[in-house]
Order: sequence, then C-alpha cells, then structure tokens
Amino acid sequence: MRAKKPQGTSPKPKTGATAMTQKVKQAKSATVVSPKTVELDPSGKKAVIYGTVNNDRVASRILEERIQQAIHDGARDLHVLANGHHGIGGRIWPLGETVKITVEGPVGQRAGSMGMTGTEIVIQGGASDDVGWVNCGAKITVLGDVTNGAFNAAAQGILYVQGSGAARCDTLTKHNPRFDPPQSWYFRNVGDSFAEFKAGGIAVVCGVNPRNPENILGYRPCVGMVGGVIYFRGKIQGYSEKDVKLLDLTPQDWEWLTVNLKPYLAAIDRTSSYGELTRSSSDWKKMVPYTPQDKKEWKRTHKMDLSGFRKKSWEKEVGEGGLFAAYLEHDHTLLPYITTGRDRRNKPVWSNEKFLPPCAFACPTKIPTHKRTALIRQGRLSEALELVLQYSPLPATVCGEICPNLCMESCSRSHFDRPLDIDRMGSLALELPAPKKADPTGHKIAVIGGGPAGMSAAWQLGLKGHSVDIYEASDKLGGKIEMMIPRERLPHDILEKEISRFRDIGVNVVLNKAVDKTGFEDIYKSHEIVVIACGAHKPRSIPITGSENFTSAYDFLRDINSGKSPDMKNKKVVVIGAGNVGMDAASEAYNHGASSVIAVDIQKPAAFGVEMETAVAKGTQILWPRFTEKYSPKEKKLYFKDGSVLEADAVIISVGDIPVLDFLPPSVHTEKGWLAVNDIYQTSDVKVFAIGDATQLGLVTHSIGQGRVLGDIIHEQLMHAPRQPEIKQAIAYDKIKSEYYEACKLDTPVEKLGDSCLSCGTCRDCKMCETTCYWGAISRVEHKDGTYEYVVDDEKCIGCAFCAGICPCGVWEMADNI
Amino acid sequence: MEPAARLDNNHQISVREMPYIVRWRDDRCKRCGRCTAVCPVKAIEPAVKVRRTVRSEGAVPTPTAARQVVHVVEQVMDMERNCVGCGTCSLVCPNEAIEPELNFQNKFLHYKNKGGDGYKRGGRRNDPSVSTLDKLKFTRISMLTDPALDAGRHEFRVRTLLGRMLPPDGLPLITVDGKLVVDKRNGFIPPVREIYPIMIGSMSVGALSPPMWEGLAMGVAYLNEVVGLPVVMCSGEGGMPSRLLRSRYLKYFIIQIASGYFGWDEIIHSLPHMVEDPAAIEIKYGQGAKPGDGGLLMAEKVLKLISAIRGVPQRVDLASPPTHQTKYSIEEAVAKMIQSMSMAWGFRVPVFPKISGTQTARAVLNNLARNPYAAALSIDGEDGGTGAAYNVSLDKMGHPIASNLRDCYLDLVKQGKQNELPLIAAGGVAKKGNLAANAAALIMLGASGVSIAKYIMQSAADCFGDEYNRCNLCNTGKCPRGITTQDPKLYRRLDSDKVAERVVEIFKAADIELRKIFAPMGRSTELPIGMSDALSIEDKAMAERLGINYAC
Repeated sequence: MRAKKPQGTSPKPKTGATAMTQKVKQAKSATVVSPKTVELDPSGKKAVIYGTVNNDRVASRILEERIQQAIHDGARDLHVLANGHHGIGGRIWPLGETVKITVEGPVGQRAGSMGMTGTEIVIQGGASDDVGWVNCGAKITVLGDVTNGAFNAAAQGILYVQGSGAARCDTLTKHNPRFDPPQSWYFRNVGDSFAEFKAGGIAVVCGVNPRNPENILGYRPCVGMVGGVIYFRGKIQGYSEKDVKLLDLTPQDWEWLTVNLKPYLAAIDRTSSYGELTRSSSDWKKMVPYTPQDKKEWKRTHKMDLSGFRKKSWEKEVGEGGLFAAYLEHDHTLLPYITTGRDRRNKPVWSNEKFLPPCAFACPTKIPTHKRTALIRQGRLSEALELVLQYSPLPATVCGEICPNLCMESCSRSHFDRPLDIDRMGSLALELPAPKKADPTGHKIAVIGGGPAGMSAAWQLGLKGHSVDIYEASDKLGGKIEMMIPRERLPHDILEKEISRFRDIGVNVVLNKAVDKTGFEDIYKSHEIVVIACGAHKPRSIPITGSENFTSAYDFLRDINSGKSPDMKNKKVVVIGAGNVGMDAASEAYNHGASSVIAVDIQKPAAFGVEMETAVAKGTQILWPRFTEKYSPKEKKLYFKDGSVLEADAVIISVGDIPVLDFLPPSVHTEKGWLAVNDIYQTSDVKVFAIGDATQLGLVTHSIGQGRVLGDIIHEQLMHAPRQPEIKQAIAYDKIKSEYYEACKLDTPVEKLGDSCLSCGTCRDCKMCETTCYWGAISRVEHKDGTYEYVVDDEKCIGCAFCAGICPCGVWEMADNI
Repeated sequence: MEPAARLDNNHQISVREMPYIVRWRDDRCKRCGRCTAVCPVKAIEPAVKVRRTVRSEGAVPTPTAARQVVHVVEQVMDMERNCVGCGTCSLVCPNEAIEPELNFQNKFLHYKNKGGDGYKRGGRRNDPSVSTLDKLKFTRISMLTDPALDAGRHEFRVRTLLGRMLPPDGLPLITVDGKLVVDKRNGFIPPVREIYPIMIGSMSVGALSPPMWEGLAMGVAYLNEVVGLPVVMCSGEGGMPSRLLRSRYLKYFIIQIASGYFGWDEIIHSLPHMVEDPAAIEIKYGQGAKPGDGGLLMAEKVLKLISAIRGVPQRVDLASPPTHQTKYSIEEAVAKMIQSMSMAWGFRVPVFPKISGTQTARAVLNNLARNPYAAALSIDGEDGGTGAAYNVSLDKMGHPIASNLRDCYLDLVKQGKQNELPLIAAGGVAKKGNLAANAAALIMLGASGVSIAKYIMQSAADCFGDEYNRCNLCNTGKCPRGITTQDPKLYRRLDSDKVAERVVEIFKAADIELRKIFAPMGRSTELPIGMSDALSIEDKAMAERLGINYAC
C-alpha cells in the first residue's frame, strides 16, 4: 500500500527536537488544537511525528503510515512523540542508509519490532513489552527498563537496555548464519524465565545495582536453550541444568566483552561503569547450552542406575540380598529360559520296564512276552521259548490251545493291525524239556488238586526246589482241562505231553486220592504248607419242576472225555446257561448227533472266543433273556416265564459248578460255599492257601496265574525273603509309538516276532533317543554283565521331552525336576 | 455304552475348539526342543508321524510306496492342556518355527469345566473392546481462553492428597495469645499424605514372585528418592517382608488388610521397630476382578517365604474368605476396622476401605462421609485384574469404574464434601496402555487418584496376558515370565532391577503425559479433580450417564 502524502507543510523547527517537544507540551497545556501531524525540517531529512494531534491520540495504524511516508519522502532522522503506539520504529527498510528514530513519551508494545539493519532506535525512557520483537537488524537503545518479553525471537540487531529486563526476555532468539548474531545488553538484571528456548545470540546481563541482588537472572532461566551465550555478572539462583552449563569466561569471551561493553555503555550513558564492569573476568560467568552431543553424554552418564540404587541405597536400608533374602535358599542370579542341570523344570528318566506291556499285564500269569521277543531280537530263540516254562507248566495247552489269550486281545499292535502271535509261542514250547530244578530246600508242601491251579503251584514250588506232594482225586492230572474240554478243541496228546513234562520235575503225584476230613488232617500235619486247589466239581442246578431230568454239563462233558458216548441222536437239545462250558456242551451235543441245540440264558451270554464260535458254527442258537419256569419230560417241553416254550428232548444245565469242601476243618473258613482267601491267597488258617475254582470260577489261565503267584508267595515265606509285591501298571497305549512300524506288512515267522513286537515299556535298544537328542545329552552305557542302559547328561539336557515324545517303546518319562 | 474293541477319534476334541492353535513349521524346525522345554502348560510335545506317498514314475502304472517316519512338535488335543497363547515357544525358538494363533472360533469355555468345576484363571475381564475410559477425550483445550501452559517448560506439581481433609470451618483451631493453634483436646486433624495420583495397586507377596514384588517396591523407592515422584504402592493382602516394615521406605507403602488377615501378626510384631509410618492402610472388602469372591493361595505356593511373611505353616491352602468374618453391618464393620487400624499407628496414618465396583458403592460412600476417621474410598471396577478367580467372576461380575466413580463423586458434590473425602479409582486403568489418559479421565470424573496393577505387570515385567485370554496362568504358579509364581526356576527369569527400572520409566513417562493433558487445560499445580467440563465422549447415552459433553 502506498503511504498517504502528509497534509500541508510545517514551519521548520528552530531548536530541534527539544524545542518541538516543548511546543507540543505548550500546545497540550493550552489545549490548543495543533494542526500539525508531521513537521519536516527544510532539508527534508529530519521529521517530527506527533502521536497526539488535536488532543486526540493518533491510531497506531495512522502513526505508522506517517512514519513510513516521512521516510519515503526522504526523512532520515525521526523524532516520534509517542502515546502508547504499537510497534514504533519497526519495518523500516533504509536500504544501505541509516535511519535514526528517537522515541519520546510513553512507548507502546513491540517498539522496533521486525526492525531492519540500518534502523537505529533510541527510546528515551522505559519500553513496554516485546521491544525488539523478531528484530532483524535494528539497533535499539532503551534509556530505561524494558518490560516482559524484550527481544523475543530476535534474530539480528542489538538491544541496549539502560535498566532491567522483566520476565521472559531474550526468549527464542536466533542466530541466522547469514548475519551476525543478535546482541542484548541489560545493565541491571532480568526477570523470570529469561532466555527460554534461546537458539542463538549473545545476551549480557551486567548486574549493576540489581533490583534483586540475590538473583540477577530471575527464576529458571534458559529452559530449552539450545544456542547462543549469556554473559552475566552477579548472583543467580538456579537455571535449567539439563539445558545449559555454567562456565568461566575464556580470554576470547573477555576480549569480546571488554571491547563491546564500550559502545554499549556509551549508548546508555553509563561509561563511568566501565571500570567496575571490567575489573576482573572472574566477576563474570557465562551460560552456554549443551550441544546435542553433550546431551547424549549427559544421558549416558546420568542413566537410570537401578543396580546402583540397589547397592547404594536399597540394600543398605533393607539388608543385603534385598527384601526376601532371608527366606530364599537359591542363588540371587538370573536364569535363562532354557536351563540345564538342576535348574530344568523337567527331566527325563529312562524308565525301562517300569510299566508292564499290556500283554503281560492282561495275562493272569504275567508271562513276559516282551522279554521273549527281546530274546528273539537278540537271536536267542530257544531261550525265548524256554522262558515261558518259568511261568506255566502248560504253555502249549493253555497259551497255545485253550486260552482266550487275553495277552493278544490287549496287544498294542492290535490298535493298528493285528496282535502278535503270542499263542504260537506257547505252542512252540510243546517239545521243550522241563527246566532245571533248583537245589532241594527241604521244605515240604502239599497241593490238594491236580488241576491247572494245583499243577501251576506245584510246578513253581517244585522248580524252586521244594518237596511237593500233589493229591488228585481222579486217576489223571489236568483237572477240568482233562475232564471237560472237548478233545476237538484240545488235542489230547498235547495235554499228555505237557503233563509228562510236569512229572519230570519230580513232583510227587498221588492219584486217586480223594481227600476227606481225616486225609486232610494227615496232610495238614505232615506238610508245612497246604495249598487247596480242589476246583469246583459239583454242578449247580436250578430248583424248577422237572429239573431232576436235566443233565449237568459237568457230567455230560466229563463222560465224553472219559470215553462214554451220550445218545443225542436226532434229539432237540436245550442248554441252560450260555457260558463257555454251555457252548462246549452244545458243540459236543451236536458232535453226538443232536438235531438242534438251543442255548438259553437269563442275561447276555457270557460265552466268547473259540468256544462260542465253534458252537455257533455247528448250529447252536442262543436265546436270551429266558427265565425257565418248568420242564415237562412227558411233553419234552421247556416252559419259560414269558410263556414261550421250547421243545427239549434233552436239557443240559450249565449254570456253573461249586466246590466240594466238606473235607475241611472249621478253622478254614468258607463263604457261601467258596473258600475265602485274602490278597495272598491265604485262608483263615495261615498255613492253608487256596487258589483256582475252589475260590472263584475263572478261566484256566486264571488258575495257572494264581498258582504262579502263589508259588512265589510261598517260596518267599518259606525262604524268609522279603516280598516284592507285583504292583506294576500297564503302560498307556499312547506312549507306544506305533508310527515307526508298518501296518499289515510283516509276515511273522517266529524269528521275526521280535521285530513285530512293539516292546511296550521295554527298551528295544534302537538308539532313537540318542540320535534324536539335539543337545547330545543321551548316551548308551554298556555294563560288564552285558546289560545296558541309556543315561542322561544333566548338564546338557534342557528337559525338552523329545526323548519321551519319540521313544518307540515309551520307556522315557518326564518327571518334575525337584 | 460299552466301547467297541477299537476306538479312534470318539469324543476327541478337534483343534478348532482350541482357544489357540499352535502353528508349527516343519521346514524351519531343527528339533532342538526349546519350545517344548519352556511351554508352561505342556500344550506342545514332541511326537512321531508317518508320512507315506505312493508314486508312479514309469510310462505305465509302476507304483512305489515311500514311507517316512518323522519327529514333529505337536499340539496336545486336551482342553486341560490347552495352548494359552503365551508365546513363550516363539520367544525361545531360534528359527521362528512356532507361534500360537488366536482361534476366534474356539469353544474353550464350552469345555473348560472338567471334573465339574468351573474355569479358573488369572488376568482380568476378557473383553478386548474399547473401554469407556478409552472413549473419553479431553476436549477443553485452552489456547486463548485460559492461559494454556507449556508441558515442557512449565513446572508442574502433579500431586494428590490421600486422607480426610477438613473444611476450613471444620478445623479444630482456637486462638491462644492471639495465635491460631490446633485444639488437640477437642479436635482431631486427620492425617493426610501428599502422593502421586497414580499408585500401584494391591498385589500380594505370594500372588507376585519375590523379584516382581521387590522390583515394584524398589522402583517406588527410586521414584520417591531419586526422581522426586511420591508414588506409593499397596502391599496387597499377605503381609510385607519385615525388612521393609522396619526400613524407612515403609512410608512409600500402603499396607493392606483383608479378610484373611494374613501376615498381620508379623506386622504388629514389627510395629515397635518401625522407623516410619506407612503411607496408609487399605482395608479390602472387595476386588474389582472378582467381586464377592475370596482369594486362595494354593498350597504349592506356600513355601518358606510365604510361610514366614504370612505367619502360616508351609504347604497349606490359604483361603481369604469373600467377607470379613466379623462383619455384621456396614456401619459396625467399617467403623470398627477403621478405628482399629487407625489406632495401631496412633491415628497418624490414613485408613480407607477398598470395595469392588458395585451399585451399592454410594451407600458405602455415604457411610464413610459421616465417619470422621475414614480417609478415602477406593473403588475397583470390573476390569481389575487378579491372581486367581473363577472366569465367571472375572468376566461377568462387577461394575464398570467410570459411572460408579462418577456417581460417588457427584454424591459428594451434593453434600459439598468433594474436597474432603478422596476417591481412588481402579480397574482397567491403562487396559490398552493409555495410562496417563485413563488416569486423567478418571481424575476429571472425580477421582483423586488411580491404582494400576495388571498394567504394571504388562509394562514393567512383560506379562503376556491380554483380553483375548492370552496366558492368564497367574493362578497356576506357572507364569512363564516369573511374575506370579513361587517357583524359583520360573521367577529367576525375572530381574528385579529391570522391573524397577521399567517402573521408573513408566511413571516418568506418565508424568510427562499427564502434563501434556493438564497443560493445555491451564492446570499445573492443582489436580483437575472433577473437572468434567473438560471431558467429552462420542456416545450420547454415555455422555448423559456421566454428565459430560457429547462431542462428535
């Protein structure tokens, strides 16, 4: 915008500025309306500009226009009679020349703001706020105090202050590298928050006659100061220590100060103080900001040091080791997440044979098939087969033929293809000779009953070197195996062969010796231990009309095995009781000419396995539930409670047998017709033990098993050996890693049974663990006796459970590392 | 029913039911077992797999089958060993081969009741949505209307007062010889502490491991003694180590008494040896995480340390009943507890109750307002954390802190007592990490101070827990970070010095952030308690409920 042309021309002032001022004052006092707004001298170089015209204050906007116009018209020495005008003396562009402005009267805010190089402002008295604001080169002299915010954001130029500065002076000053840095000089002191965010420029606070002699820089100077320097002389009370450092003056500082003080003091008319101010450089200090590098260094050296605090303060107060040291027993050190040795959370344990494989667990005799297969893997086939004789006198008969093979039923292999041929291992034992007997012990034991239970107990005790008398009521050993199992299911020569082997160990067999009361008494007296294994030989019947016409399965089967041939030709036969004995009876009925056989039961038939398969294959029908009501031999009809009727030329009753125990003295208790025993097969008489069907009906394998276990119990008692109860659990199937084995691909000649066996719970020495362990913590150690074990180096092991997770046999277990 | 001879996947849960699915990468894994060694819940284990391919490479069908058995790391399909998503496996894996992944489809809670017992866990309410506190904004920015302050340049005193403040006309002052003096015979000036408005809430020795508790305590001491921030910390129930009770640092700690009264005989034995009074006594009546539910420290955690500090035999379950056994009515129970605890320290220590956020909070407050010895009321909102609770208590019980606190504050305002009885708010402060903002919001709603607990575990000790039910194993003693366990093998992973350092950093940063909030409002020396005109929320119903501006 172009400045307006001044109105009219004023007469020349006669005596300069002072005279003019007087004139103005006169005008004022006389309340004469001055027509003058601007007075120019004849040269046009000097001008007086009035802030009050006709008693009215000229607006700052108008005064500014007049100043600019005067300069535009050539004035270079201005005298402004101010009346609180804003921004006087700023924004003047003399372009190489010098413009001098003297300001008189009350000065408004921001005098000299945005002042340019070449502008020289002298304020004759104090200045209001923000004098020299964003100064760009003006030289401003204030002959009095400056109020708040002096030199705020000044970038170039000079501020000379004759008095003090108020709050927030010298804040945000800059230094543009294109120009000299701004200078600000305060003669007395400055107020609070001095030089905040100062980014450049030189400030000097002379500290002469300060208003607050205790603190010439005010409260918290230099916050955020990043550039420039402050020279000061006098006491201070703190500063922003994180921003600036307090230093002594260097000779270069001192030289600059002593040189530049002279024009300053001259400008503010205080030359007389030069001597005092330059008395000694040690009167002065300077503040300079930390460089970014300094700050990094400061941060480094002032780093939070909690470890230091712990040592120097915390533990001094609460005690060595901290709050809990008195209660903790471990080292006060950190542990990594991956630990070894005793710091592991878990550790592996090579639990070889801790658990039984399911086969051995399911077998009442606990025949260790896994040990047999291990021997086969080692190429020791005959030893493998012989091992079974340590457990049973009748492996070919029982395991090989008549046993339902609970071992195979539970075999882990059956989970993914088919069970191992364990029965075959029993059959293969047929030709084996009797094992070697131990040296005689001199102990004498009687076994009453030559059935599987009695034979098993006698076999075990005989092998252990005891003298055994076995008493059998019939003329043959074998009990119900001999008497009742159909020959088609068990070829008789197998049984005979095994009975002959049984006799080979030198047990004293007394046949045809039905033990009565007196007989028992004699036996009891002449032996240290009596084992009752008399079986259950009294068939049960049911009390219904016509039951006297029934034939018991017991008699029926026994008669057949002893050579008699019952006449069943074209008969319709009903078997009451569909258990396995009932099935055998049904099969034999067909074998002897029956036209039809129907087995009935009051519940789901208990029959299973080969017995049932054979009977059903021959045509046996099974009906259940059927509750018999009566039998009419006349009508040949069997009536049931539900009203149904079956034609029955013959009825075979097969509802179980009960023992005949009338030979026993009262000291041997019975319970509901059965011998009562505790968990070591001991009766109420501590010398008398009982096993087999005399205690509870069971499978042949149960009788063999009880005889085997009782053999151990009696042996340990007689030899005063500490009893080691067999409390092994079966290994869980999910611990066996069948994935290693291919399903349905193995044909199993006996030499290969070792490979097929999953070796559940028993190490198969495959080195899988040793190879898998990433940390090399597992190794195989072979002992002098040929045995081996896998051991863990605790200092290498991290307890990762890989060995336990991948062991084919489930031998490795993880345990809490306590 | 009787099983068939062979079963396969009957009643087996599928991986899709699992809350976290372990993503394991065969191609990266070197089978070093670090992951399986550290998994706190044994949710992964090494396993054996068969891989089988049939190929035909000839011009005519020429099949060859190739079978390979490999070792893998496998997730256990057992909801009792579910992957909790803690990610310790990923932390230790050198090959980035394993990582748990959150499964939003999970049916975790459907299954987590084995044996007929409800699911128990630690942590806090599993609600990852944005909390009310995080929805609050500070919309009153003073640029020209008030002198806005410069958070970096101006000096701030962010402090609050804990204790009953008497109004000027209630002060027991009398004039003696022309001077005002306290009339000690006829009047009582309750003790008041000037503290930092963010405090560390109650977490017991026992719930926390020794290095965690000590780290927090040391950080608090450092903040007070070196940094100059008067942060206080509450002991939690279960006593305090006697070394601390007898040290001069005791003044930075609030001792908690709860319904189990554990450790209190040891505290009383220490009384004659105390060189400082504690900052305050907190009487715990409820906990935000599990309102109306008690505490239980499992026997496995009650080892020598806990036994000594709590004054109980080793290896016994320590139950804190849900209620104080001798509580008969609000007046009677609170009054007598406050009296007893005040008396223990000669009425020199502020005593205040802590309750869980509840619709009955105002009734409690009303009672306290009339009790001259009540120093404050602390309210723990539903988002508070805990060491152990039933999930149903954590997720479904309790009251959000914002409106609960607001109601209480406005009740005080109605009585003209808002400057007399301070309210302390807690429960979900800094749930998403916005410590200063949440604290400031609560202060502006009327709190004199806030408590933090779960947040400090997360920030200072790297707690894995979050609102997606990650980790939350605090109740099991298997904390993989060593924060909430008494097993040295786990807690020795945690460096108490580091915890302390983080505590200091967290509070220093929060202090700066609080200034960044307060400065634009022109507040530097006076905490803007109840300055609710500064708050807005982008939800009209919430704005109305809280009595604040609705801004959108």
